[in-house]
Amino acid sequence: MDLLQFARGPALKFALIVFCFGVLWRLTAVFLLRHERTLSEPRHPVFRALMGGLLAAGSRSAPHREFIRRTGYSEALGYSYHIGLFVVVLAFGPHIAFLKSLFGVSWPALPNNLVTVIAALTLTLMLAVLLRRLTHRVLRLLSNFDDYFSWFITALVIVTGLMASTHFGAPYEQLLAWHILSFDALLVWFPFGKLMHAFYIFPSRAINGYALARKGASV
Amino acid sequence: MPEYQARQTIGELLDRQGISRRAFIKYCTAMASLMALPPLAGRAMAEQLRAARRPSVIYLSFQECTGCLESLTRSFSPSIENMIFNVISLDYDDTLMAAAGHRAEAARDQAMKANYGKYLVVVDGSVPTADGGIYNCAAGRTAVDILTETAKGAAAIVCVGTCSSFGGIPFADPNPTGARPVSDLIGDKPIINVSGCPPIPEVITGTLLQFVTTGQVPDLDEHRRPKVFFGNTIHDRCYRRPFFDQGKFAKTFDDEGARNGWCLFELGCKGPTTYNACATTKWNGGTSFPIESGHPCLGCSEPGFWDKGSFYAALSTGTFGRAGNLTPRDAAKLGGAAAATGIAVAAGATALARHRRKVRMTDIQTADTQKEE
Amino acid sequence: MSRLGDIPIRIERPDFAAMAGTIGGGVTAILAEIAALLDRLAAGDEPQAIDLKSLPMNPGDREQLIEALGSGEVAITLYADGESTIRETGVHGVWWTEHRDGDGEVTAAFIEIARVPGILIVDSDELQRGAERLRSAIGATRSSE
Ligand code: SF4
Repeated sequence: MDLLQFARGPALKFALIVFCFGVLWRLTAVFLLRHERTLSEPRHPVFRALMGGLLAAGSRSAPHREFIRRTGYSEALGYSYHIGLFVVVLAFGPHIAFLKSLFGVSWPALPNNLVTVIAALTLTLMLAVLLRRLTHRVLRLLSNFDDYFSWFITALVIVTGLMASTHFGAPYEQLLAWHILSFDALLVWFPFGKLMHAFYIFPSRAINGYALARKGASV
Repeated sequence: MPEYQARQTIGELLDRQGISRRAFIKYCTAMASLMALPPLAGRAMAEQLRAARRPSVIYLSFQECTGCLESLTRSFSPSIENMIFNVISLDYDDTLMAAAGHRAEAARDQAMKANYGKYLVVVDGSVPTADGGIYNCAAGRTAVDILTETAKGAAAIVCVGTCSSFGGIPFADPNPTGARPVSDLIGDKPIINVSGCPPIPEVITGTLLQFVTTGQVPDLDEHRRPKVFFGNTIHDRCYRRPFFDQGKFAKTFDDEGARNGWCLFELGCKGPTTYNACATTKWNGGTSFPIESGHPCLGCSEPGFWDKGSFYAALSTGTFGRAGNLTPRDAAKLGGAAAATGIAVAAGATALARHRRKVRMTDIQTADTQKEE
Repeated sequence: MSRLGDIPIRIERPDFAAMAGTIGGGVTAILAEIAALLDRLAAGDEPQAIDLKSLPMNPGDREQLIEALGSGEVAITLYADGESTIRETGVHGVWWTEHRDGDGEVTAAFIEIARVPGILIVDSDELQRGAERLRSAIGATRSSE
């Protein structure tokens, strides 16, 4: 079995199992967390509170106008590299073929060269994000291994992917093997590190919003 | 007869057969172009070959389908097909030779004795090693035995086809005969692998010609394949590459994309990881090659190509699941099971934690009441 | 229907009419290379050739190249294990060569930059063998007289 076979076969299988297991484990565990009983009288009916929750999930994504001067730069960075990641993951032909094998649906791809450029831009933006984390004093104090490792594994997948698509540095089959292996590693790490925010972010905002709305606070 | 032929120069033999110098130059020019040499190098090659002596070649066939030999002997026009047999002296090939039985074996012995240390061994097919090698015997001897004996006096070994190069189909899981490639069994001779299932005939003859012309093993890649023919992937030279780059893929064999000649990546094309000359040299005298006929590359010149998952699954997909082809159903089963376990574990753990907390709380409460008392 | 070329095929192509009139980048590069090789030949260098089979050419490029080089004064047919054609182009010393096998399939195609196409030149061995053959023919006639 060569490296590529290992990456596409047993390693990928293991990674997908760990990913599904881990994600559901952590989601369930969080949902089953004990909630403090709300002692205050409900100010709004459940339905309105639910709407409030949905609203919060969305509105928290928009930058706060009051702080825009201080948060604008990092928010712009964050948004753009996340969009880049989505485009690279969802619009590259070979990725679509992979997703199709998992979910059975496919959609048209963007030209490879365009995706390559977007991937390179995304990587640059991620470097800027890392630089900010390293130079911003508060941010640096808040950061731990999890932050750096989650960044690293994501960047690694992009770097190996870029190398594979541009045939840079080694024979293609090796680059592809490294790309898939790094993706396997990302899948394994995903549920247990901060990458899990992809699953937590909107539900947690919604639950917060619901609780606030139920208490009658404006969301 | 073989001894006499071996002493004769190639030029002398060609003259005797009425093949003119110019006809031979033409042939060498065509071969030079295939080897990516400048066209005029064909002339120098022709002169060199004409002055050289024909090397004795012993062709051994083991676990194989004879497709490689068919490839070599049937795809050129007759005049060119014969040419390689003028350049080499094929002294033993149990498929092609007229002699049979003891006479055939005697021809091999004689060729070995007369050209000891100088002859070329061409091997076609993998070598079974399980159960004492009984799965492939000729003249009462096992393939392992014949190979080891013949290899001893060889100048070099040329493995023709994926079976002798990497094990090929007999080697595929579960490999009931314990098939092995030649390179696993012979360690002390230069080995040139000309892989493919079958290899392109021009690549077989080109490799032989190169060896006869220079007397040296050509530049090889890490799988011991001549770099001149195996230096690029199919994908590197594929005429459908612009469609790959544009992200235009055929999704089925009869959709609009397939009719437009778009890239076959999603139909399982292994071109990006397959090193061979199909995209440039092509097949059947340069007529076309699989991708040109609308079929994805199977990757037949790569080690283990038979066990690398479905031929029709894209390279970027997983190779587990039914028939090595990951389908949404497999994925759902696998992911579903893992997810269900995740939920169960989490629920169990939470329940346990709550229970512990409850116990602790009651302990504290009892302690408190006791204190109060 | 004895040859592959006889099987009718339909090729769907983009509209090359739109591209007509402009010389493709590939063709310009080949012309420049030929010019450079002519210079070198004049300066006393060895003859050189450009392989047409291994050159990446778009459909239509070949026609443009033929047109740009024009046709010359010499056309040679070689009957050696199939018919080969060697035509001098409109540029002296630039020979368009196509070798065919017994079935008429092109096995090699290249542009040779030489004073005389090399394959035409007879080597000394052949001269000697020719002389021998004639002498033995003369001997045979004499003895039969
Ligand atoms: S058809 Fe195969 S070899 Fe050709 S471009 Fe597509 S993936 Fe590459």
